Amino acid sequence: MSNEYEVFSPWAEADRVPASGITPRVSDLAGKKIGLFCYTVKPASTPIIKAIETRLRERFPSSEFSRFEYDYNKDLMDTPDVARFNDWVKGVDAAIAAVGD
Amino acid sequence: MYDAVYVEQLNKPAVALVNENFMYDARSAASSKGLPTVRVLASAVPCECINEQIVEPIIDSMMDDIIKGLTKPLSPQEESPEQPKVEETPRIIFKGNLQEINRFFYKRGWADGLPIIPPTEEAVKEMLTGTDLPADHILGKIVPRRGKATVEKVAINAVMAGALPTYMPVLIAGVEALLDPESFFHVWGVSTGSWAPFWIFNGPIRKDLNINYSSGTLSPGNIANATIGRSMALIIKNIGGARPGIEDMGVLGNTGKYSMVMAENEEANPWGPLHVENGLHKDDSAVSLIFPNSSVPVFPGTDYDGLLNSMIHSVTRRGLTCIVLNPAHAKTLFENGWTKEEIITYITQFARVPAYRNPSYHKAALIKIPKAYRVLNEMESSPVIENPAWIRIIVAGGPGNFIGIYAGGRWPGNEWVTKKVNLPANWGSLVKKYKDVVPNYAFY
Repeated sequence: MSNEYEVFSPWAEADRVPASGITPRVSDLAGKKIGLFCYTVKPASTPIIKAIETRLRERFPSSEFSRFEYDYNKDLMDTPDVARFNDWVKGVDAAIAAVGD
Repeated sequence: MYDAVYVEQLNKPAVALVNENFMYDARSAASSKGLPTVRVLASAVPCECINEQIVEPIIDSMMDDIIKGLTKPLSPQEESPEQPKVEETPRIIFKGNLQEINRFFYKRGWADGLPIIPPTEEAVKEMLTGTDLPADHILGKIVPRRGKATVEKVAINAVMAGALPTYMPVLIAGVEALLDPESFFHVWGVSTGSWAPFWIFNGPIRKDLNINYSSGTLSPGNIANATIGRSMALIIKNIGGARPGIEDMGVLGNTGKYSMVMAENEEANPWGPLHVENGLHKDDSAVSLIFPNSSVPVFPGTDYDGLLNSMIHSVTRRGLTCIVLNPAHAKTLFENGWTKEEIITYITQFARVPAYRNPSYHKAALIKIPKAYRVLNEMESSPVIENPAWIRIIVAGGPGNFIGIYAGGRWPGNEWVTKKVNLPANWGSLVKKYKDVVPNYAFY
């Protein structure tokens, strides 16, 4: 037990991802196009988004709502849905995502 | 979680609702994409819950926060977050005696709860004799952390696990299997389902490394089976960055995550080995990978009829499935004229359950029944495994009347992955050097 050893680190290097700030918020949801992202691989996301949409419609009757349903169990950027996603994001002012886990 | 990040990266404000117990996971995911301050709300909705009576009051209580998430002006920190610290990873990380090193590695979260062998320069150098690849060669980046899997980091983790240098080629092939998108490691490695990598070896490497494929192939006691599995678990943790309860959210966990290594008894397989079925040459050495989270030991009848019917009663509703026949059972089926394809067809055709026994029928589970297999009423039967291509039959294990069924999941695009094991030029002398590291049990 008394022998001393110098040992290497098993922890791998990873590329440092520079941190960016998030996007400025909208001042109010009234009259805005609100995106609702539903990750249907996780079943809970559907009733969560449905409940949120119902309540937002009550509070913001002048707003529009648009859902994006996504059912790949992989990174969205690695799927054929990227173009559809980008178009959808362009068409909304703000978005709510329900992960389901 | 990445979804909210991608919305933000397209310059639209977003807020994500995440289960309250997944906040660390969500933060790791957001930081890994460069948006550490993305707004995330902790939700008390239970995972996978589809009961609106449970969901709605929780959402009622969150509505003000959801609205604020999209409208409350950004704080200075959200607008301009602190840059991540550059990780200092000196080559020599610690100096101490055996106990001090073990305590240090354990406290840093780099071990697995068992004692480790200190990865000294000398030990790592010896481990690297098992490959012709340079130490700084990057095999790829392992998710979720996208850590760089250099050959040296693989060797360091292998030393810690107690592996022999001759295991380096299979560990490198194992990393390649994890990196293959068809393995779906990005899902199975961190999923709540506690899926474990099942490493199956074929070809001459089985005997070169003395991998046990006979009695107790999955039991403790064999250095190759034990330390290859343990090395891969440490690689997943220390290179991939999947730590239990932080990124790896397996609900119950799985001892198979560091121990599930088997070789096929090809000599007792009358039909032909797994790696050939998966596209390689018989003389190749290979590792195959799926991610089961459960196994069913089947106690079958001993004639071919009993064997087949025991299997159809014991396969479980999942996806990629490995049926392990012991040599005697394989022989019985073969001698009665059954091919592997016919056995698999029989299983997919006759392993059926009434719809009422399928949770999907009651809309209470994640698994969706494909349209082609939807049933009309609760008594109509549906197949347990609908696609024969998901099943493989291998031969392993000792004498005795048991069959093993290892049931994995499957997502579209997820397949059996088989990788060739590439050997270094000095393979013959290396094998000779370590071949006699075998247990010699005394009889009593």
